[in-house]
Parts: sequence; C-alpha cells; structure tokens
Amino acid sequence: MPEGLSETPAKQSVLASDRLALRRRWRHLTDQIAKVSIAVGGISVIAAILLIFAYLAYEVVPLFASAQVEPSAEFVLEDSTPSLHVAIEEQSEMAMRLGEDGVARFFDLHSGEISAETAVDIPAGATVTSFALDSEESGIFALGLDTGETVVARYGYDTRFAQLDNRRILTPKIDYPFGNERYRLSGEGNSDPVASLAIRTSGENMLLAATSRRGGLKLLRASKQTSLFAAFDLGGGADFEIEETTLDGLTLGGEQLFIDGDRFWLFVIDAEGLARLVNLRTAFSTPNPSFEVQALLTEDGAVPTDISFLLGGISLLVADDGGTISQWFLTRRDEGVDLERIRSFESSDSAIIALTPEQRRKSFVSVNSHGDVALYNTTAHRQAFSGTLATAGASAVAVSPRGDALLIESAPGSISVLEVENKHPEVSMAALWSRVWYEGYGEPDFIWQSSAATNEFEPKYSLVPLSFGTLKAAFYAMLLAAPLAICGAIFTGYFMAPMMRRKVKPLIELMEALPTVVLGFLAGLWLAPFVENNLLGIFAVLVLLPLSILMTSFVWMQLPDSIRHAVPDGWEAGLLLPIILLATYLSFVLATPIEALFFGGDMRFYISNELGINYDQRNAMVVGFAMGFAVIPTIFSIAEDAIFTVPKHLTYGSLALGGTPWQSLYRVVLPTASPGIFSALMIGMGRAVGETMIVLMATGNTPIMDASIFEGMRTLAANIAVEIPESEVDSTHYRILFLAALVLFLFTFMFNTVAEIIRQRLRNKYSTI
Amino acid sequence: MRKVDVSSVLGSNSESANDLESCIDVSNLNLYYSKDKQALIDINLTIPKKRVTAFIGPSGCGKSSLLRCLNRMNDLVDDCVIEGRIALDDEDIYAKQVDVADLRRRVGMVFQKPNPFPKSIYENVAYGLRIQGINSKRVLDEVVEKSLRAAALWDEVKDRLDDSALGMSGGQQQRLVIARTIAVEPEVLLLDEPASALDPISTLKIEELINELKRDYTIVIVTHNMQQAARVSDFTAFMYMGNMVEFDATDNIFTNPAKKQTEDYITGRYG
Repeated sequence: MPEGLSETPAKQSVLASDRLALRRRWRHLTDQIAKVSIAVGGISVIAAILLIFAYLAYEVVPLFASAQVEPSAEFVLEDSTPSLHVAIEEQSEMAMRLGEDGVARFFDLHSGEISAETAVDIPAGATVTSFALDSEESGIFALGLDTGETVVARYGYDTRFAQLDNRRILTPKIDYPFGNERYRLSGEGNSDPVASLAIRTSGENMLLAATSRRGGLKLLRASKQTSLFAAFDLGGGADFEIEETTLDGLTLGGEQLFIDGDRFWLFVIDAEGLARLVNLRTAFSTPNPSFEVQALLTEDGAVPTDISFLLGGISLLVADDGGTISQWFLTRRDEGVDLERIRSFESSDSAIIALTPEQRRKSFVSVNSHGDVALYNTTAHRQAFSGTLATAGASAVAVSPRGDALLIESAPGSISVLEVENKHPEVSMAALWSRVWYEGYGEPDFIWQSSAATNEFEPKYSLVPLSFGTLKAAFYAMLLAAPLAICGAIFTGYFMAPMMRRKVKPLIELMEALPTVVLGFLAGLWLAPFVENNLLGIFAVLVLLPLSILMTSFVWMQLPDSIRHAVPDGWEAGLLLPIILLATYLSFVLATPIEALFFGGDMRFYISNELGINYDQRNAMVVGFAMGFAVIPTIFSIAEDAIFTVPKHLTYGSLALGGTPWQSLYRVVLPTASPGIFSALMIGMGRAVGETMIVLMATGNTPIMDASIFEGMRTLAANIAVEIPESEVDSTHYRILFLAALVLFLFTFMFNTVAEIIRQRLRNKYSTI
Repeated sequence: MRKVDVSSVLGSNSESANDLESCIDVSNLNLYYSKDKQALIDINLTIPKKRVTAFIGPSGCGKSSLLRCLNRMNDLVDDCVIEGRIALDDEDIYAKQVDVADLRRRVGMVFQKPNPFPKSIYENVAYGLRIQGINSKRVLDEVVEKSLRAAALWDEVKDRLDDSALGMSGGQQQRLVIARTIAVEPEVLLLDEPASALDPISTLKIEELINELKRDYTIVIVTHNMQQAARVSDFTAFMYMGNMVEFDATDNIFTNPAKKQTEDYITGRYG
C-alpha cells in the first residue's frame, strides 16, 4: 500500500502500528498460557505421584490400627447352670452354652432369648465330671461322666434360607459324629468317674484320652469304617473300628490332658504347670510307654489357670495366675524334641481367668480377674487390644468364628456380648521386619509364605526375604551391567571415532526398547537351561573374553605403525568383533573336554554334589545376565552423554599440559562427568529394583535369603505381580502386598533421592564453565 | 616509504629474526584438514628464542592451525594431514620416536577461552606436575607458589588456594591457566588469543604478564587484536588464506610492511 505508507507520519516507528500492538498482546497472552499450562502440568505430575503414594498409604495404614471393641449387648439367661463351654455361631447371631447338666442351650446373641435346648445323650442320673473340646472349629466335644463313661458329641447349626425373604434360618443341633455309643475309658464299674479328658478328631478319626479318678490313663482310637455298601446301609450309624490301650506305669492324679492337632503327642499337665508328654504314635504298640519330654510351663511358681491349643493344634497357650500367657510348641532338636517356650505375653499382674483361641487366625482372647479383656496375636507377638470391659470374675470367654464378636460369661448365665473390629492382628513391625519364631520352626527366621492349603496355617509375612531378593537381583544385574555400560560409555564417549559413535550409540539405545517380557521369557526358557547345561562355558567366557580383548590390544600395540595406521583412529574397536566371537566360540568348545577332565563331565552336577552348593536353574546369574542386559542401555546412554558432553577444552587443557589421553580421561574427564555417571548408575539401579517381568520369569520366585549366585530369589515387584491377583481384597495379605508396593516405592524413591543429592554435590564440585 | 630504525624502538636487543637463536623452525609446512581443504600452504618460519612472536591475520587465515601444529594439538583433529618439518631445538617434533605428551609439556598452550579444571586453584597448578608423577607436597607447594607469582596471581589467591578455580574471574582464570602451564617448565608458551574473552583491564594484565614472561620463555601468540600484537610482540607474522604473507620484526610490520597486503590489513582495509 504505497498510499498508506505515504500517509504515515515520518516519525512514527514501524513498531507502533495497531496490528503490531495486537500481536504483542497476543504474544504476551501465549506466553502467559504457556507459563500456566507448564505449571499445571508440573504440579499435576507431582500431585499424581503424591496421590499414588497417598493411596498406597491409605491401603496400608489399617494394618497397624489397633482393634476396636465395643459392648453390644448384655443379658442374663434364664438358666444358671454352671457352664462347661460357650461358643458363638458363624455369623454372630446365635450362641451356645453347654451347661454342667449336659444341656446345650442355644440363644440369640442380641436378646439373650433361648431358642433351643438340646440335651446331650447321657444316661439318667449320671453327672458330667469332665469336659474336653476337640477344637472351636469342629464343635466336637467329649463329656466324661461319673459312671466312667464318655460321650462324644458335636454342636452345630443347620442353615437354610427362607423362601420368601431369603432370610437365614438357623436350626441348632447336637449330633454324634462318632456314633451314639458311650465309651468306657476309666476303670471298672460306676465308681471310677472320668477325671480328665482330651479329644482330638480329624475327619473320621478320633482319639480320646482319659484319666480316671483312680489314676489310670487310657487311650481310645476310633476310625470310621466305610463299607462298600455304605450307601445302602439303612440301619443307621456307621461302623467304627475301635482300639483301646491302657497306659500302665504312669501314675497320675488330677492332671489335665491335651492332644495336639496331629495326634502325635499327649500332653499331661499337672496343677503346677509341669507338662509331660506321651508319644501317641507308639503308645498303642508299646505296652508301657513313658513320658518323653517334660517342661515346666509356668515361671516363678505361678499356677496355670487356663490351657488351650492355638488354631491348628501346634502351639499350646498357657495362661497363669501371674498374668502371663505363654506360647509353647515342640521343636525338633538333635536329641529329639523339646517343648519350648516361644514367646509370652504379659499384661498385668492379675491372674488370667480364661483364654480362648480364635478359629481362623493365630490369635486369642484372654480375660483376667480384673475383667480386662485383651486380644493377642502370636505371630506378630502383638496385643491388638486391651481394655476393662467385663465385670471382675468372668469365667468363660468365646470368640466368634470370624473374630468379630466376643462373649463373656461372668456369673453363670450372665452374658455380655462385645463387638470386635480386629482386621489385621497378625501384622506388626516385628512380624514384617524381624525374625519371627513360626510354629514348627526350630528358631526365629525371616519367612515369606502368604498362603497354604490349610486354613490352620500360620501366614508368614516377613518382607525381609523379598527386600533381600530385590536387592540381590539388582546387585547381580548391576554387577554385570555397571562395568560393561560404564566402560562402554567411556570408550564411546571419549575414544571412539565420531562416525562409529553415531552408529553404535543408537544401536545400544535401541536395546532399551526391547520389551522386558521378551527378555524375561528368553531368560527363563532359553538362557536358564542354556546356562545350566553350559556352566563351564559361561564361566570360560567370563574369563576368556576380557583376557583375549586385553591380549589383542597388547598385540595391536606391538604391531608396526604401517599396519596400525591402516585402521582409522577410533575404529580399532571394530577389530575386536571377530576376537569376541572367536573367544566365545572357543570357550564353549573347550568347555566340554575340560568339564570331562576336571568336573566329571557335568559342572552343574559337580557344584551341587561335590561342592555341596545348591544350584537352582533359575538363579541370580541368569537374572544378572537378563536384567543386566535390560539396564545396560539405560546406564550406557546417560553415562555416555555425561562423558561426551565434558567440554573438549578441558581435555585439550590436560593434553596441552603433557597429559596422556588416559591421564586426561581419569583425572579430568571422569571427575567432571562423575555426576552424570553416578546418576546413570542410580537410575539403572532404580530400574533394576523396580523391574518386574524379568525377575518374575527368571528367578524361580522362591523367597529365600541366600546371597549365592546359584540360588534364585523373589523380589518385591515379582511378589506383587504373582500374589495380588489371588489375594482377597482388603485382607491382611492384600494390604501387605500394598505395603510391599510402598516399600518398593520407598526403595526407588530413596535411590533417586540419594542419587540426586550426591549428583548435586558432585555437580557443585565439578561444575564446568 | 620511510625506513624506521628498528633498533631505536626495540632497544639494544633488537635484531632480525634470523640473527637470533632460533627456537622453532618451520619449513615447508602444508596442512590439510581433508583432501581438498588445505589450511596451511608452504609455511616457512623461524621463531626466535625468548622473544614474543605474534601471528596476526583475518579469521580463517590459518594462524591458529599453525599454532596448534607447534605442539601437535592438530593430531587430535581427525583426518588432519601435515607435511613438512617442524623442529624444536633442531629436533623434528613429528618424528616417530617423539613422545607427544612430553612435547606438549615442553610446548605449553593457553587457549582462547580460560579452561581451568573443575578442581581447586592449587590442584589446577599442581596438575601438570601430578601427571608427571610428582606428588611431594613440598615440591608442589613450592612450584605452585612460584608459578602463581610468575603469573602475577599469587597475591590475589594465596588465601584461597583450596577454593574452586571456577569461582575466579575470567581474567584470573586465564592467568591461572598460564600459571598452570608454566608450572611444568615449558620452553615455549603458545597463547591462542589469550585475551579475546576478557575485559580490557584483564587484557592489560595478561599483556603485562606476557612482557614479564618473555624473559624466560619463548612465546608465540595468536591475536586478532593488532594493537595487542604491536604492544606485546617482538616479531609478527601476518598470515592470509593459509599463506605466510610476511614475517618480520613487529615494528617493521606495523610501520613499514614489505607487502601491500600487510599494509592493507593493518590499516584496516579488510579483515
């Protein structure tokens, strides 16, 4: 527009037009938009990480919460017979109270209204002199009578659902799984009542032990005979094969009897707490067995007040009048077995009155003479709750099968019901991070074993083997990756010809794009058997390869210049390729005769049989190779950048002072690049720690604590991947897996923070102009 | 053109380069960065001992390339081919048996941009000795002080020898680099535009330093700044397009150049 231009006053700058002003405003606006969106993006990233962290913490915190116990009902039953046993039904709607008159009274747990009364089939006129419970779960119990007879019965409920409103209808029942007949276990006639009794059943087998008031000890074994025609047997009642034996020579008087869950041992415990054991496996064949093991279960002259097996029938819990509850089980020792005190719980000096184990966990509840109710877990060695909730003088306590209700009987018939919220009693810092003496083990140990085929199993939630496995896998991966990647980075960044570098670097970085699941199954399915079959070859490669490279370099240095100069500067590395291939080939070829000569033809066999080192096919070495391969590109790439970007003028400065290239490298270049090299190592380490697929597929996933290169391991990440799909949501196991995730998160967080701090320090020290 | 009495300007020491004891002899030097890129064409030059020789010329004329040939820093450039002979004290520095690292110790070099190592001031000066294997604290202390004094830096840094060299000003850094270079007792100091990145006051200090150092060292300086060449050098070589156009006593070059090209350059007609 020539006219427009001519109209513009001469003094007005070209930068003052309206259009440009608008443009400047727009420019300002875009600048603001960019600023805000970058800030929002950055904050969102931090917020997302914090949210992940918060969510993990949210899932984990309930693990460490104390239990809550609230009184929910209190009533007096229309019955004041002293009780033998109280028990709560599965859904905490009903409870049962077995009186000394042999009558089981079933009552509503909210109102105390008795809904059913069923008498156990005992002869008229007989009185109950002793009681024994198989376990809270089975509901099978035995009543010893003054007639010298014993009745075995079971309390339970038939459940059906109302057709109209799908309401659950419970019908209480007493039945006789081992037949209606009464066993005579004490002496002759009516004058020798059953003084104490023990019963243990397993499926269709039952073992009874009884002492009579005169001191005889008798065992009775009953097992159901399943007839081929059982289905047509309309006569009712199965046949039982009954075997009895009287243990002579053991003089008894007033002892309590207990049989362990495996029916291997009979515990005979006297009033002072002295326990003596009879081996039940030999008792039926040995006419005169003797006591094999003995131990005093109380300390400082305390007297046991209540004794009960923990869930599973392995641990014996002994409560005494000194306020102590101790856990005991048999451990295998060189000279046989020992009854050992594993741990004890002391709350106050008041005598413990009653003690009842939980039915699904290794937990128990106790009531003392002050009316203090306490919830404990044995594995975690933890008191989950303690509070004065019962009136003093409580006589019995029952726990519901789900552990969500307590029933405490103070005076006969006077019942208080407590609601319990105790989700994760088996977790404590000690259970997670210290050695725990698990049932059946000879000593405290770190074990991870979250599930087993039986409900009575003691879960072992030690995070130590998993953390150890994580670090072990990362260590062996770094052992391979760090030297290779750093040396490779030094050569590529400092010595290699630029042309060659431009090809080599992207190639190595491409390795990073390889999915780790591919590396994982290659490692697990191909590399692990290959390494196992060519163990010596692998070792030979590890030795021969560096040696042959060094030798080649040495020979190369001795060659006349005319040959050496034929290869352009920085391309010498290419010459090593055939050497590497040849050395690898030779290693495997030579391995076979050497193996035959020195290792009996099979090195793997030699290692496990001659050296006594256990060899696991999927071991730390395989993981080291596979995960090392996965971390090399990460470390290489960052370290190479760090070395390459060290300003050339520093190198020249050193060379111009008369330094050799090598001196310049390690005195100037490496210190200057050290922050970058260090963070490369740490990022590689972080990656190795968090890596999942490779360790999942190539470690064997055995949570053992063994630093041996020939043993596998289980890492935190692989453990989460393996177990979270099959763990029940919000269960202890589920939350502990979240805790493992949190620990993993903290691990990587820690590595990165330490790396960052050190990197900053190094950078301040070696910052370049 | 008026002839100037050179000796009246340079004092009693004033001689022509050929009369002085030679330090470096460059004869028939050709340098190629690639087959079709020749950077130096048939250079012949004798650098006198314990004098300051300046290379001047427009950018890309080859003066830095020539300087880098003198301590074989061009070896670090890929595909760089050098023909001809360069002799230091009559020894061919490109001969096969020459230890390049030792040559570079004898022919020290200071670069355009100060390049102290990311170490302490003390360690920077001691670096050259340490790589020679000298680690005795006593010897190092002595040499560090001597070198820093020689570089006129001692009084400024004696209280902070353990501080990072990177905290110094640009001028101090450049003097530190000079101190670092003379710590290994070189025979020749190559200065590649040592003051180009510095402020005027620092430049002045460097120039004073050069005047001090020429008593003990043969100094070769590459500079863009003709006033600087005139101020500090005894001899000046003017280079253009890879050729050595003129080499003579500095006063002759600046007052009575033999070649028209030189005169055009120093009078600012091009360059």
